[in-house]
Amino acid sequence: MQSFRLGLLGLSILTLRAEVSFNRDIRPIMSDTCFRCHGPDKSSRMMNLRLDIREEALKPNRAGVSPIVPGDPDKSNIIRRIFAANPAQIMPPKAAHKELTEAQKRTIRQWVAEGAKYEGHWAYSPVRRPAAPTEGNPIDSFVLARLAKEGLTASAAADKITQIRRVTLDLTGLPPAPDEVKAFLADDSAGAWTRVVDRLLASPRYAEKQALLWLDAVRYADTCGFHGDNPWPAWPYRDYVLRSFRDNKPFDQFTREQLAGDFLSGVDAWTGSAYNRMTRTSAEGGLQPKEYLAKYGADRVRTTSNVWLGSTMGCAECHDHKFDPFTQKDFYSMKAFFADIKETGLVPDRGKNAWGSLLALPTAAQRDELAELRARIEEMERRMAAQTPPVPAGLLDDVKAGKLAWQFPRPLTAASQNGSKLTIYNEEPLDSMYDFRGSLVSEKKPGHGTIAASGPNPDNETYTVTFKPGAGKWTALGLEVIQDESLPGMRVARGADRFVLTGFEAAVNGRPIPLVLATDNVLYPVPEHPVMAVLDADPATGWGVTMYGEGRNVFLALRLGAPLETSESDVIAIRLRHDSKYRRAVLGRFRVAVSAATYAWPGTTAIGSRDRKTDEEGLPEEALAALKVPAARRTAEESKALAEYLVWASPEFQASEIELANLRARRDMLNAQIPRVVYSDRTEPEITRVLARGNFMDDSGEVVKPAIPAFLGKLPSANPTRLDLANWLVSADNPLTARVFVNRMWREFFGQGLSKALDDLGSQGEWPTHQEVLDWLAAEFMLPRYQGEGAHAWDVKHLIRTIVLSDTYRQSSLPRPEVKAKDPENRLLARQNRFRVDAEIVRDIALASSGLLVEKFGGPSVRPVQPDGYLAALNFPKRDYSASRGDDLHRRSLYTFWQRSFLHPALLAFDAPTREECAVNRVTSNTPLQALVLLNDPEFVEAARVFAQNTLAQGGGSLSQRINWTFQRAVQRPPTAAEAQVLTGLYRKSLARFKASPERARQFIGVGEAPAAAKANPVDLAAMMTVTRAVLNMHETVTRN
Amino acid sequence: MKDIFEIQRRTFLGRGVAGLGAMALRTLWGAPPKTGFPGAVNPLHYPAKAKRVIFLYQAGGPSHLETFDSKPKLAEMHGKGMPESFTKGQQIAQLQGRPLVCFGPQYGFKKFGKSGQEMIELFPHIGSVADDVCIIRSMWTEQINHDPAHTVMNTGSIIAGRPSMGSWVLYGLGAETDELPGYVVLFSSGKGGQNQPIAARQWSAGMLPSKFQGVKLNSVGDPVLYIQNPPGMAAAAQKESIDAINRLNQAQNAALQDPEILTRIAQYEMAFKMQSSVPGLMDMSKEPASVLEAYGAKPGDGSFASNCLLARRLAERGVRFIQLYHRDWDHHAGIKQNIPLKAEETDKPTAALISDLKQRGLLDDTIVVWGGEFGRTPMSQGGDGRDHHIKGFSFMVAGGGFKPGISHGATDDLGYAAVESPVSVHDFHATMLHLLGIDHKRMTVKFQGLDVRLTGTAGELVKEILA
Repeated sequence: MQSFRLGLLGLSILTLRAEVSFNRDIRPIMSDTCFRCHGPDKSSRMMNLRLDIREEALKPNRAGVSPIVPGDPDKSNIIRRIFAANPAQIMPPKAAHKELTEAQKRTIRQWVAEGAKYEGHWAYSPVRRPAAPTEGNPIDSFVLARLAKEGLTASAAADKITQIRRVTLDLTGLPPAPDEVKAFLADDSAGAWTRVVDRLLASPRYAEKQALLWLDAVRYADTCGFHGDNPWPAWPYRDYVLRSFRDNKPFDQFTREQLAGDFLSGVDAWTGSAYNRMTRTSAEGGLQPKEYLAKYGADRVRTTSNVWLGSTMGCAECHDHKFDPFTQKDFYSMKAFFADIKETGLVPDRGKNAWGSLLALPTAAQRDELAELRARIEEMERRMAAQTPPVPAGLLDDVKAGKLAWQFPRPLTAASQNGSKLTIYNEEPLDSMYDFRGSLVSEKKPGHGTIAASGPNPDNETYTVTFKPGAGKWTALGLEVIQDESLPGMRVARGADRFVLTGFEAAVNGRPIPLVLATDNVLYPVPEHPVMAVLDADPATGWGVTMYGEGRNVFLALRLGAPLETSESDVIAIRLRHDSKYRRAVLGRFRVAVSAATYAWPGTTAIGSRDRKTDEEGLPEEALAALKVPAARRTAEESKALAEYLVWASPEFQASEIELANLRARRDMLNAQIPRVVYSDRTEPEITRVLARGNFMDDSGEVVKPAIPAFLGKLPSANPTRLDLANWLVSADNPLTARVFVNRMWREFFGQGLSKALDDLGSQGEWPTHQEVLDWLAAEFMLPRYQGEGAHAWDVKHLIRTIVLSDTYRQSSLPRPEVKAKDPENRLLARQNRFRVDAEIVRDIALASSGLLVEKFGGPSVRPVQPDGYLAALNFPKRDYSASRGDDLHRRSLYTFWQRSFLHPALLAFDAPTREECAVNRVTSNTPLQALVLLNDPEFVEAARVFAQNTLAQGGGSLSQRINWTFQRAVQRPPTAAEAQVLTGLYRKSLARFKASPERARQFIGVGEAPAAAKANPVDLAAMMTVTRAVLNMHETVTRN
Repeated sequence: MKDIFEIQRRTFLGRGVAGLGAMALRTLWGAPPKTGFPGAVNPLHYPAKAKRVIFLYQAGGPSHLETFDSKPKLAEMHGKGMPESFTKGQQIAQLQGRPLVCFGPQYGFKKFGKSGQEMIELFPHIGSVADDVCIIRSMWTEQINHDPAHTVMNTGSIIAGRPSMGSWVLYGLGAETDELPGYVVLFSSGKGGQNQPIAARQWSAGMLPSKFQGVKLNSVGDPVLYIQNPPGMAAAAQKESIDAINRLNQAQNAALQDPEILTRIAQYEMAFKMQSSVPGLMDMSKEPASVLEAYGAKPGDGSFASNCLLARRLAERGVRFIQLYHRDWDHHAGIKQNIPLKAEETDKPTAALISDLKQRGLLDDTIVVWGGEFGRTPMSQGGDGRDHHIKGFSFMVAGGGFKPGISHGATDDLGYAAVESPVSVHDFHATMLHLLGIDHKRMTVKFQGLDVRLTGTAGELVKEILA
């Protein structure tokens, strides 16, 4: 594959100088070709020969032959073996498939001849601030000196439009606004550039761009990652990262808070400690807790060592590192720092203990209101619990006789407001598959009053069902929600991940029937959707259930304000409203029920099936069980269960029951509004052992204490904590953190790192092209000295400001033949680079150019439009996507709900990482799927439409003015004549097409939910939309030049 | 094979642009491909027997004891305690802390074909092609829960972020078509069992560029995400827009000579080709009734049968790696009731696919794999089901240079552990890659400073199953 290494080869030719340097020239070769068998890992070491340490490499073997004789290549065995003509003798052996090139062989020989001088690995030696060769910005000084040595010159500054687009994209992730471009073009004063940079650094958008890199690295996501990949509360941590960048929190403090926030005080630091919880976690039944605790611990070592140390310690989970001096013991000693995090192997994804340690973040007002509600509820509960109503005589007989059983009248009509097709299955057979205790069961049986929805699937819907209850005296209405596998939303709703019934109204012969108390049999109530909300006046709130873990049909019982007497001919109509913000959280199958009992509890035996196995229902299961026990033998618990039911059922306590239910509903809805975040809570540390070959079942390994990698030093404390680890990471004793961070930041401003291996500064990484720049910036980052007025230690903004104020940064990116010939990869920075922007920014540019972007800093994650069925392969629970509404459809992409197992396909197409693992090196690919996203994704088509609306409204009167306006908005420059001609041609052809078929124009401009232009002619708008769409698809639009 | 990003750029540079890389000229079998792109393993390490793979992934963990691994001794032991000698110190999933009781095979086995291969009696159709298939009865894996076990099966690693086997194969061999993605993933589910979730990670390109990732072909909605033109946009109008976009990009490139722009232009052309060819791929109306009948496919129903037929059509069109997930083999309960449902869904289409490929001369260079992420315990769960099991399970393979009509390896008498010629997932990967012309030890990509390979640090070729 050597032909693909042109760039690298080119560089090594460039850098080959008189004297060979071990670190620059030899270590990369040896690391790649020798160290696997003759390096740090003793278990794979061959012939007991070690070449990574000089003393070892000079030692003669038993036969008296020295691998290396400094100054005498001919006597050095490694040279003999490297140059051996005999295939059986040659090193590296043929089977290793690690052939050395002739140039590499010569380099090694030269190095031995020059005395075989070893050097410590560059990245592991202390950071020293190199002196810049000249005055001015040291970045420029180092870069220019290097260019001069290679006989190259720097490029002139880019034109001003390119400069302002570049720096605005790099610092804020958005293109500059037209007036910002204009102001910069008009400002020829000396401080113009600095003013632009400082304006951008002060913008909250700066944080929205810079946080991306960090969120990838710490694998921030909105779901837990394994198996059901359910949503967990994480976004407050994302906001913590955003605030930290916005407020320019010192990076050392940022480090301490994330690794050890639970050792510090303050909500901000505790929120930061969510870092420790971002590891993928599993709630899969049957997992072995010990195995998963081992996985979580290993993930933390991989992530922490990569984020701060730029090291691949993950290799040392099973064996000593093959290339760097990390031992297996180092891996487990690092893991031991995290052994005090309170967690379980199976992290529940539902119920009261969902997600383990959670930090609630209420406002003061929320806290007070919640406390007050809780006090009132407690008070009432105490009062109610003191009640012990007598058990009505004959209650058990009534239950056994089925007198408390719900009746399912056969509907007469079922109609929908927004087009769903409703079919009544009375005696007609209905095919269904439902979840029963975790397994799918299928059956085909008469519907017995089931209503099934199909056909059009609107976001919101209202059903009206009529039926004749027959002659009787009724006390309650009921609703059974029926599962079926065909329903994408949890098997009950026609979409989303829940159903939400926002209103239930009933009338008899047109007269409203008052409903006073709502009760359900849900095992895992959703605080956001308490059952009483179905009766409140607010159309946005309602009874909602996610069905996850229910394992049976759920049932809603609605008590009537007063018993209702009906005759044979009376018709009851009920109206089911689904007006929540969740799209298609609309019931798919259900039955209505009536009860004449005083009072029937929600039907609990109607499990999945439409046929009850028993008529013994109408009481909660526990109460029924208690009732069957003779009064004298009831336990306290049984008596309590029975009493609770009787209080609930007793007309005497009805007013109190309603008040309590309403208080609970208010408490739950308030609770649902309070943000929460997973965070690290401390406990007694688990014992950490070295696991032989990473095997979690092996308990024979050495017990280790928390320690930093031995070759990097030793912490003073006898029992160091995560806080000690964090302090060491950002101390002068650690050579890596600042270098790693600076190198990754450099990628944001030049498209690649000074060392391209952003994830490995170890010996398998790449020697940095400009070590002086890297080291100088690392030193400057830790302790600002250069134009550092007002800057503090570990000052991220100062670091970035220093980079973008350099002339190196401001250079033109236009190719130059002499540079291309000598340095095809532009590693020496004789010009700036051109590169596609990151996935989030691709969409943000479209939103900003078109005028669709809604800017709001922070908050819960949002769900932009996504193709239907994209989540179909998920289960536990089965769910469908529900896009946000209104403004939240057009927020910046970093706020997009990050579903690890199925990341938004448009982000995925543009190489956004899934954040299942720490990712510090986004690739930048260029694929047909990207073209399909930009061309056809409704999000981008909608952007083109709104862009066109704005063009028609604001872009001037003539076509050329409009094309010009469009171009300026997307790429900040006017089109060339040739470009304008292409777009003019496209517009004219499109106009003719849409004139010929105006229906197509109307369809085309109908994409997206953003408001349509009131005045625009559909044909003109559609034609202009092809222009804006083409502009949004241009390579230049998604490229930073 | 050091710098994957460079490969990506050069690969496209090679296409119709001045300054052809040496890479672009040397291609898979000597001549430059008419379409697609060349692979990174170039030349191939071995003469390739197979050019493509159809992986019929039976997700959820099919019971080997009710498919391909007959265990009369287990039937004898039914209801008796599982000897501790088998289970002591071994990993257990949902049966943790429960009594371990033998649970006999729920259906009889039959010998099929001249080769006399033994299979469950519920597989008469696969039985009818018994002489074309090779049964591996000694598979084992290392992860006992679905999600990580899928990840090991697909990527060879439990750590997320590694490329899946389809990506490896596409990366190594390159693509043979511009009109369809080189790695396609299909889904189906049926009755009985649980629809275990399957994350997109399973067909991810990991640290390889995203052009190597699997593209999921949907039976509902757009077959490929965003493949449909926006509403109101006719194909000719779309072409006009793409032409305009490409002319704008060409205008830029005139000044810049930027290979990324040329790549972008090529991608738009390919996107349009995909838009044009996908509807034809999905349209099965021209398939003869006899073919539909043989597979048991009803076009558009999204069934495993329809997907098998679609797989053949994808294979014919040059798709390199085709992976069909058929879900709900997770039979913790009701195995007796559920296995016939699964057999009904998979037996006929699997056999039809093998016969159809054979008849068309495609079986010789197409590897067909039938299997899941693990097997199931010989012990009962809840009296009528089986738990997850990693120490022994079965795979069935056909075509592409696998030795037909043989069985390989064996589990012990109770079907617990692979004891004779055990084949790890890594061994299987190594063997599959070998047939595709790739030495798994030599196809590596640089990641975090390491030469990462599909098979990790393990994996040995299983020579006995090569034709």
